[in-house]
Amino acid sequence: MKHIKVVASSTICRDKGTGCGECQASCQSACKTSCTVGNQSCEQKKINNVFKESK
Amino acid sequence: MVHTFKCLDRFFALDVESGSVFEIDELTKEIIDFYPPLVPPKEAFSCYSEAEVREARAEVDELVGQGILFAPEPPHGKPHYNGIVKALCLNVSHNCSLRCEYCFADGGSYSTERRNMSFEVAKAAIDMLIQKSGTRRNLEVDFFGGEPLLNMDVVKKTVAYARGKEREHNKNFRFTITTNAYSLPDEDIDFFNREMYNVVLSIDGRKEVHNRVRKTATGEGSFDNVLSNALRFRAKRGDKQYYIRGTYTALNKDFATDVLFLNDAGFDQISMEPVVLPPEHRLAIGESDLSELTEQYEILAREYIERRKTDKWFNFFHFMIDISGGPCESKRLVGCGAGNEYLAVAPSGNIYPCHQFDGKPDYVIGNVMTGEFDETIPRKFASCNLTTKPECMKCWAKYYCSGGCAANSVNFCGDINVPYTITCALMKKRIECAVAIKAIEGKI
Repeated sequence: MKHIKVVASSTICRDKGTGCGECQASCQSACKTSCTVGNQSCEQKKINNVFKESK
Repeated sequence: MVHTFKCLDRFFALDVESGSVFEIDELTKEIIDFYPPLVPPKEAFSCYSEAEVREARAEVDELVGQGILFAPEPPHGKPHYNGIVKALCLNVSHNCSLRCEYCFADGGSYSTERRNMSFEVAKAAIDMLIQKSGTRRNLEVDFFGGEPLLNMDVVKKTVAYARGKEREHNKNFRFTITTNAYSLPDEDIDFFNREMYNVVLSIDGRKEVHNRVRKTATGEGSFDNVLSNALRFRAKRGDKQYYIRGTYTALNKDFATDVLFLNDAGFDQISMEPVVLPPEHRLAIGESDLSELTEQYEILAREYIERRKTDKWFNFFHFMIDISGGPCESKRLVGCGAGNEYLAVAPSGNIYPCHQFDGKPDYVIGNVMTGEFDETIPRKFASCNLTTKPECMKCWAKYYCSGGCAANSVNFCGDINVPYTITCALMKKRIECAVAIKAIEGKI
């Protein structure tokens, strides 16, 4: 494309409310330096790694 | 919904529902802004040839056809309460060595008696967290205050107690601590480096900026002690997570200078947050400050990109948005989970929706020592998420801020579902800068 460069596409995982909840808590106030969810990562891969290590 | 914007002299489009990000030219920005239906005023594209307009429009149409531009909003499930708790803030001390002028906790006391949490209370809090965490494996405990280092004995005992429970209950505790770094013995630094997943140290930037508001109980500036301790901590921290966290106020609207000062001082993980105060406070940020403050983010972003090519590489927390993935929709709708997934415990053992509600009698959920736990407040908080906030659902930044802070909404808007708009404006600018930086750096 000449006029548009795709930087990232379809990045929001639509889980239909089935999120595992293992991700880090994100404080929305300014006092804990984690006040956006956008900079959080999905923990699913990390969890799998933890289980593999424990096995 | 598509948000188009100019940042760092480039044009971008963010497709809200898919999360797709595009770098575009000015013509395409105009086409997207009028799309659909494409009924622009006659003069809109007058400086472009018909062929150019047709070409750019075809590219937009193609992305729309792929479902990554103007993606429709999917139906969202209703918010629900499941009783799971996965994170605790332990306010281990209602006392502090400093009396910062903007402190929301009334100099650390939360307007209550200045006292420390006993080990018995901390232990009961850990037991409650384990008991209410269901099948959640990752549990978080943040040691907060006041100044948690005034009660380090209990911090250390609590960590040891929780670690002792991990295997039995198949849990993985992640501990974090927030300190003013006014007094930071080497043995505590070594303990942090063994046990703390993340450590947050508070410095506001330049000496005169920091000392103006972060004073000791006797009114002396704390900067010299804090900087020296934080640098000693940094030297021993290695590549483990930490943040230097500052607060900017109406008195240092040139806060980009403070961020860069901290980087020059030797720190590579930095955050700088806007103060949140009633409008009549001398340090409060008002609507009239927003233009200057948003410009500061752009100034910071330009320098940030340049420094990251050199040995002064650093991370600025609010420019670290993950646009290639990030959390799932559930997390984006719920946000911090205050009042249900995330709770705070005071030295008395009282349980609150989060640390910002500590000391507010109307928000006591129960007590870890008595075992009392009234679900009325958790259910109320769980019933509010992004989808119950009409203003937020119309906002392009909704999946990046999740509707903002419940405590700020309650404290400044009187309604948990009404966003605090000053924070909104700054949040939006930070997201724009973060997207632009990611695109320019090409590291998605």
